[in-house]
Parts: sequence; C-alpha cells; structure tokens
Amino acid sequence: MADADTLTRGPSGAGDRQSSLSRLLNKDSTSKWLLISPLLLFLAAFMLYPTLYSLYMSFTDYIMRGAPNFVGLDNYRYLLDDPVFWEALGRTLFVLVACIVIELCLGLAIALLLNRDFWGQDLIKGLCFVPLLISPLAMSLMWNYMLHIQFGVVNDMLQAIGLPAVGWFSTTGLAIWSIVFISVWQWLPFSIFVLLAGLRSLPRDQFEAAQVDGLSAWRVFFLLQLPMLAPLIIIIVLLRTMWLMRLFDPLYGTTRGGLNTELLDWMIYRTAFVDFDIGLGTAYAMFALYLTLIGCLLMYKRLMRMMKG
Amino acid sequence: MRAVLFWFAIALMLFAFLFPVFWVYLTSLKQPEDIFGAGLIFEPTFYNYRYLVEVRPSLNELLNSMIVSVASTIIVMAVSVPAAYSFARFNTGNGHLLFITISTRMFPGVVAAIPFFIAFRELNLLDTHFGLTMLYVYFNMSFATFLLYGFFREIPTSLENAAMLDGYNRIDVLRKVIFPLIKPGVAITTMFCLIWSWNEFLYAFLFTRRIARTASVGLSTFWGSVEIQWGPMAAFMGIAILPTLVAAWLMQRHIVRGLTFGAVKG
Repeated sequence: MADADTLTRGPSGAGDRQSSLSRLLNKDSTSKWLLISPLLLFLAAFMLYPTLYSLYMSFTDYIMRGAPNFVGLDNYRYLLDDPVFWEALGRTLFVLVACIVIELCLGLAIALLLNRDFWGQDLIKGLCFVPLLISPLAMSLMWNYMLHIQFGVVNDMLQAIGLPAVGWFSTTGLAIWSIVFISVWQWLPFSIFVLLAGLRSLPRDQFEAAQVDGLSAWRVFFLLQLPMLAPLIIIIVLLRTMWLMRLFDPLYGTTRGGLNTELLDWMIYRTAFVDFDIGLGTAYAMFALYLTLIGCLLMYKRLMRMMKG
Repeated sequence: MRAVLFWFAIALMLFAFLFPVFWVYLTSLKQPEDIFGAGLIFEPTFYNYRYLVEVRPSLNELLNSMIVSVASTIIVMAVSVPAAYSFARFNTGNGHLLFITISTRMFPGVVAAIPFFIAFRELNLLDTHFGLTMLYVYFNMSFATFLLYGFFREIPTSLENAAMLDGYNRIDVLRKVIFPLIKPGVAITTMFCLIWSWNEFLYAFLFTRRIARTASVGLSTFWGSVEIQWGPMAAFMGIAILPTLVAAWLMQRHIVRGLTFGAVKG
C-alpha cells in the first residue's frame, strides 16, 4: 500500500485545488475506511443491534407488553425439553437434506443433458430461468391451487393417465414432501446452471484422451469430471442451506405450518408474532442462528480450502 | 432414437418449469364457476382483472412495492458500491469484514424481525414505507456488496495506478476509469436488488398493514378466513410477476453469477 500512497501524492500539483474530502480520498489508508463507513454504519445498526437485542431478550420473559423480566436460562431450558422445537428442527433438516440431494442429482442429470450444442439452446435455457426469479409466495400459492385434491390440475393429469388422485396437502406424511417439491421446483434451475457452468469450464481434451485410452463415458464422468465439480457442489450446498433455513413463503402459501410441516422459521414466527412470547421466540431464533452460522462457516472454510487447492 | 429421447427430456423439463406460470395466466381468465375444474376449455373473461380495479382496488399495493423496491435499491447501491470498491481495491478488514457482511445473509429472516419489530413499534415505523425500505436495505446490502466486490476485483489495479500517475485524483479515477468498467456489474446488482425487494414477503407481511402494504402481502389477502379467491388472486399474481418474468429474460446470462455472489460465471 505504501508505494500506492506515494504514487497518489505525486501528480502535477493538482493537490492545491483539492477539497479536504478529495484529499482524504486520495490517500489509500483513509479512503478505504471512508468508502466503507456507510456499510459499517448499516451493519452496526442492522446486524449488531438485532443480534445483541435478541440475545438479551432470550434471557427474559417479554410478551410485547409490560417490562421484560430477567429469567436467566429458563427459555433455553424449556427449549431443550420442548418436543415441538426438536420436531421443527428435525423437519427443517429433513427438508434441507431432501431438497439439496434432489436438486443436486436432478440438476447434475439435466446439466449433463444440456452440456452440448443443440437447436434453440439459448431460448430453452432462458426459459428455464423463470422459476428462479418469480415471487416464491406467488408460486407457492399457485402450487397450492394446482395441487388441490379436488380441482387441482395435477390430479386431473394424474387421473388422465389412469393414476389415482393424491391428497398433496391433505395427507399428513405427504404435505412435507409437497413443500420440498415446491422448493425444488423453484431452485432446480440454480443447480442446473451452476453445474452446467462448471461442466463447460472443464478442459475437454483431457476427457477425450481418457476416452481414447478406453475409459467409458461413465467412468470418465465419475472418476474425472465429478471430482472437478466438487467446489461448485459445495457452493450449491452452502447457498441452499442459507436459503432453506429461512424457508417461509412456501409454508405460508400452502399448509401454514399444519399437517406436520412446521419448520424452524415458521415456529419462531408463530411463537413471537402469534403467541407474542418474545423471550422464547428469541431463544429459538438464537439457537437457529448459531446452528446456521456454524454450519455455513464450516462449509465456507471447506470451500476456501478447495478453491485454493 | 437418442435425439427423440433428448428432445423428450427437454420438453418435459420446459413443461415442468413453465406450466405453473402458464396456469397463472390461464386461471386469471376464468370465471368464478370455471375455477374449480374447468381445465383448458372455458370461455375467457376479464372478470378477475375488473375485480382488481372495481371491487378490490389493488393499484396501491403495486405502487407501494415499487416505491419500496426502488428506494431501497438506490440506498443499497449508494452504500454498497463504495464499500465493494474498498473491499476489492484495498482488501479492507483482511477478509473478516467481508465474511461478517455476507453472514447477515445467513440470518434466518425472523431472527432479525423480532428486534426490528419492537424497535419499529417504539419509533412508529410500523406500516411505513420508510421502515420497510430500511429493512430491505438490510436485506439486500450484504448481497449487493459481495456481488459488486466480484465485479470490482476483475478491474486491474494497474489501470488505476496509471490514471493516478497521469494526475487524476481518486474521484476522477472513480468517475472516468472505474465507473465505465463497473457499469454492467452495477446494472445486474441493481436488477437483483429490485427483484428481491419486489418478491420479499416475510418482512412486508410482518411490518406493513394497510398504508405501506406491498403486492406480496396483497396477494396473501386473497386467502380469506372463509375461502380463497383463486380467480382474482391469479389475476393479481399475473400482474405482480410480470416484471420478474421480463427481468428473468433480460438477465438470464447473469442470474447464475448473481445468485452465487459472483463465484460462478454462468
């Protein structure tokens, strides 16, 4: 940085006319903090405050009115013995694993399918991006309509090919799978195109050489290509974990937490904003936060190692 | 034979991805009695769209969504562009600050919602455009910074140093050298911020009631205590998702890059 500093001080005597702000900006050591200060301000207000406040509230019995009383670890003690909480956590992890596994497998299959030149490829790929940007709430509501047991078009289609109608959102064991389905529908293109970008960037001649050497296309894929995609797979897992931990819209648009589909975020919402139990709600929230942060940090570290290696 | 299978798979995939969108618009043209099981054959009507104008005025909600999305995106960009430049050019905070920034994206949404709700109640910011705008700034800020960071990092520092040697000061360098090169990145980031604010539901649902109610929240009101008004809901959906459909088409080449915070170039 030092030589950059001397560089900036050098030029053509323009310094005399500069305002003090401009002078501050010209020095690397001051400008880097000056430019970042608005972000730091916002981070302090929007990250530090809620985290510390939640932490404090989780030790109280605040119920949105009156004064909060300090109750120590009571909320956390309650949480550890609360079957509803552990069920919601288990379900969240189930949805997490189910979505990511399905998205990775299907995504890889489709990426391999698309990894060639074909007629109209730009148009077809462009259309596949649609689910990614559409409002998740709107699409959840639409799927709720389309999967309706009586007048849903999906059941109409099933019956047209001779299959029985399915109660997607009225069967207890199935409802959670319907939520997984909606989430996969929305995010599958993400996996497809990340993996496709990965496949495209792999060196081709190496695989052709391997095939000439007598390795089958499948062996080439599993032995050579798949390991090279590992960093991308970790990116997908990391980002999807972050997004799936905050899955809320598909629940609001469909079961609203009924039929054994209550996930962690929904449960925190219900505790804090329906039952107004802020103390317990923040205790759940802090728990969820640490869980996500630890999980993501581990993956982030892993990713950084792989990117370097 | 392989070609037939290939095109069959492609057709199946397109059908799966696009059918719900098609069904939104189809349903929006159905009369109330056709909603429950008329399938593809029915007499189209603009009844549902008229309903959104005459019975349940909905323009206000779309307007609110627009105000909050645009305002928050402007603030986000004003904060994130200089910050991302600082991260990329000077490695400010040695990577730790960057990770802290990105970690706000890992917060489950409701975690932050509780303290904000209590604070907003004290500050009389519930159900205001300003309050929701601030929440969306928080919601998009870290993402925008990270994405822009990726774009800034691609600009060689030698370019800047050369300009500085030529007697440019920092502001000139930013304006004349950096900005033309970063414009595409800024455009993509802006689009993402706009769309995510437009689509956001949880905060809008918790923090607005009547005055600042956005389109997402408006959408949820068609699910009443007695019945779900599928027809008008589909019509409203059709209008509300239109900008995102257009955006998806315009941005297709950049979506993967945006969603992976610049790590993967699609």
